[in-house]
Amino acid sequence: MAAVASTPRGHDPGLPDRAAAPDAPTELRAGESPLDRFQTEAEAVSTIVERVDAAGAASAVAAALEAAGAGAVAIAADLGDLLEPVREACRSAGLQVDDYADVAPERARAAALDATVTGCLAAVAATGSIVTTGATGRAAALIAPTHVCVVRADQVVDGLHALVDGDVLAAAGSMFALQSGPSRSADIEKTLILGVHGPGRVHVLLVV
Amino acid sequence: MTRRVRLFTTCLADVVARRTADDAEHVLRALGHDVERVHGATCCGQPAFNSGFDEPARAVAAATLRALDDGTDDPIVLPSGSCTSMLRLHWRELFHGRPEAEGAARVARRVRELSAFLADDPAALRALGPRLDVRVGYHDSCHMLRELRLREEPRTVLAQVEGLELVPLASGERCCGFGGTFSGRYPEVSTAMADSKIADVDATGVDLLVSADPGCLLQLEGRMSRTGSPVRVRHVASLLREALA
Amino acid sequence: MSATTPREDAEVGGRPLPPGWAAPAHQPGADSLADTTFEERARENLARPFQRTAIANATDHTVFALQRRFAGTAHDALRDEARRIRAHAITNLPTYLEQWVDRAEARGTQVHFAADEAEARRIVAGLCAERGVGRVVKSKSMASEEVSLNSALEGAGIDVVETDLGEFVVQAMGDRPSHVIAPILHRTQGEVHELFSAMAGEDLPDDPEALTGFAREGLRHAFLTADAGISGGNFLIAETGEVAMVTNEGNGRLTTSLPRIHIALVGIEKMLPRRTDLAVLLPLLTGHGTGQQITTYVSVLGGPRGAGEPDGPEEMHVVLLDGGRSALLGGEFEEALHCIRCGACQNVCPVYRQVGGHAYGWVYGGPIGAVLTPLFRGQADGGELSHATTLCGACDDICPVRIPLHDLLLGLRRRRVAEDVAPLSERLAFRAWGLAWRHPATYRASTAVARAGLAVLARDGVVSRRVPGLARWTATRDLVLGRRR
Repeated sequence: MAAVASTPRGHDPGLPDRAAAPDAPTELRAGESPLDRFQTEAEAVSTIVERVDAAGAASAVAAALEAAGAGAVAIAADLGDLLEPVREACRSAGLQVDDYADVAPERARAAALDATVTGCLAAVAATGSIVTTGATGRAAALIAPTHVCVVRADQVVDGLHALVDGDVLAAAGSMFALQSGPSRSADIEKTLILGVHGPGRVHVLLVV
Repeated sequence: MTRRVRLFTTCLADVVARRTADDAEHVLRALGHDVERVHGATCCGQPAFNSGFDEPARAVAAATLRALDDGTDDPIVLPSGSCTSMLRLHWRELFHGRPEAEGAARVARRVRELSAFLADDPAALRALGPRLDVRVGYHDSCHMLRELRLREEPRTVLAQVEGLELVPLASGERCCGFGGTFSGRYPEVSTAMADSKIADVDATGVDLLVSADPGCLLQLEGRMSRTGSPVRVRHVASLLREALA
Repeated sequence: MSATTPREDAEVGGRPLPPGWAAPAHQPGADSLADTTFEERARENLARPFQRTAIANATDHTVFALQRRFAGTAHDALRDEARRIRAHAITNLPTYLEQWVDRAEARGTQVHFAADEAEARRIVAGLCAERGVGRVVKSKSMASEEVSLNSALEGAGIDVVETDLGEFVVQAMGDRPSHVIAPILHRTQGEVHELFSAMAGEDLPDDPEALTGFAREGLRHAFLTADAGISGGNFLIAETGEVAMVTNEGNGRLTTSLPRIHIALVGIEKMLPRRTDLAVLLPLLTGHGTGQQITTYVSVLGGPRGAGEPDGPEEMHVVLLDGGRSALLGGEFEEALHCIRCGACQNVCPVYRQVGGHAYGWVYGGPIGAVLTPLFRGQADGGELSHATTLCGACDDICPVRIPLHDLLLGLRRRRVAEDVAPLSERLAFRAWGLAWRHPATYRASTAVARAGLAVLARDGVVSRRVPGLARWTATRDLVLGRRR
């Protein structure tokens, strides 16, 4: 074919350097604001994005859970400093709150959850993704119909390259996962359905 | 600029589309070129080459190579994108490491697909005052489009015809289902591919379907004739001849 | 699924699987292709206008989304780089495999090698038997289709539940996936409605949301009661010993999170040297696969549940499948191993558009299927497929890692001739043609005879009747010699 490939066939072309991000849809464009891009991309895949300040984060979590009509809620340990305030805010809102680590071994309880609240290891601006890890809980973001995720502004990296090429993943543990919006399928005649196996509602609180 | 041009009519034109060769010669002469048909050429070898039969492909192509490699630098014009692609790109592979390789490389440098050749000097064509009031859909042949990368050239040529309106086809770049031996090997699939294309052509509402490859035209016109499509089919050369009449 | 009572019912509130969920044992593609021809298989799809329209619409949509996705980026440069990474990984595959195994084992992953399909089945069935696995949930894996894993496990008395919505339908219907990304591209909503209503024992609402909800409920139960999760893998990362996996529904995540054992069956060619290579390959896989910027879920799995982690499998096994792959290394068809299974070549293929995935007879359809099937299954079984294309080149133009599919298809046609697999009639025809047309005189004579013959058969310049020797052509098409009115 006349479409000349850049490397000859049957030879080892060597591995390209990867110091810089490639020019791909999964990277930030020059001059773009990471937080704005994150919000745009996340909303494009039906994530609810809300910007909150640090002081208001815990109550925003409770409000997000109430808006989703949640009753039984589990919170993941990777909320860090916010763990206690979130627990308090949820309790004051009358929600039944447990630690995800306590619920996870009991599958029936885990399956009956209305919502989970997690933090994240990072978020990717260019793809609107949050990154959770084994420390968050593998199923923590998927087991319930609603997932509320708290993302600190300083956790937002520019693009996919910054995530996989940097030191961010050093703390990943046994696994990491990017997730971008609610679970979806288009298997039946290409009709888009949200909330297939994972949550149908994903609410990100961006702490700025 | 007028010059000496060799016209390689190709085997398909020799058997079923002689008018295409005649029309190509007519148009080139109208432009003032000194046209000489290549004598002694047979086939470029593509049907066998594309079926994996390199030996007979080489034997046949070698005869054509002897006829084309005439010691001149005159352009060799073909009214077929597919054959041009074979000569220009695949002969190198077919004759690789053989005594004919050098001659094949010389010929590869000289061959030009007709509409690409005409697009070198659109002003000369326009100066002849071609005119035809007609709505045209253009079918890109796969080999012209994706091997020779000739997308604009045939459109440039059509744009010189006064009164001609080029209407984009949604399926314009999709294969017509000919595929050489494929059309006989899998006739039902091949015909279904043609039908999907023809349905688009019919729905677009054009008067003429135009292409620059006799293979695609054989397939599309053959099916349209069988199914009674109201759209007429023309090779670029034939359309130009009509427009110059 | 068999009728065995699911275990741990008490734990999940005593809900058994919905009635009627006993799917017929299905036999994915390992039976011989030699029984049927491409033409016969294609005919089935040609006879279903809905199916053809659905395939055309879906593939057009995906190609359009792909083009929009990469607009304004250096798409070709990205593809060049991806090609380079894949070429490097494949030419150095033994080294990277060794590295991957070392790193994976260091992270607690148990690694197994399967030389062929039978060994893969044996390993997975053995793992399940040793660990008392009664139910398996599966996320979509083409490698498991290659080895017909489901029927092997079902034969060993294990419940196997496909959890990808499309694959679930395929399993319940005893069908096969028809597209590498969209398994039930060939099925209508009506057919899914009928199937699920029969399973539910009631008439479910005929809308995708309700139908998906029905499947979700039963599948959630399966997730909670499964002992093992079996997945495929999109990439192996040599640098870290990880397996990367993309899904949209979340079933891949649950499959690798909830059951106590995770088994990934992955072809050895899925290798990437470094994690950073994901920044190049992932956007191409998702963009070319579905037009998405990124799939909803991308999991990168590096071992079983770690210390202090709240959930996750106690064991992670990776079965590395050769299955004809290593035989291609260093040879003429090595580039077929560069494929990342995005399905874009299927989406643009004008032949696939008409015939659908099943016509290719085995696991992979479209141009890459026409290449991989004879390479993995042998010329005698799949060699015909290299001719099931018009060599239009659309696949070359769309491939995210620039596999020269056109050249590979042509190479396979040549091999078919070299190995004498081509039919005798075809060999004789080209031989005769070569003898006649290698001399200008006999060429002129033969074309003159052909012209004269056609002139006799023609009426007003059109041959509309059967032409001896061209019957297959003229059955559906005229030969237009003159100018049609």
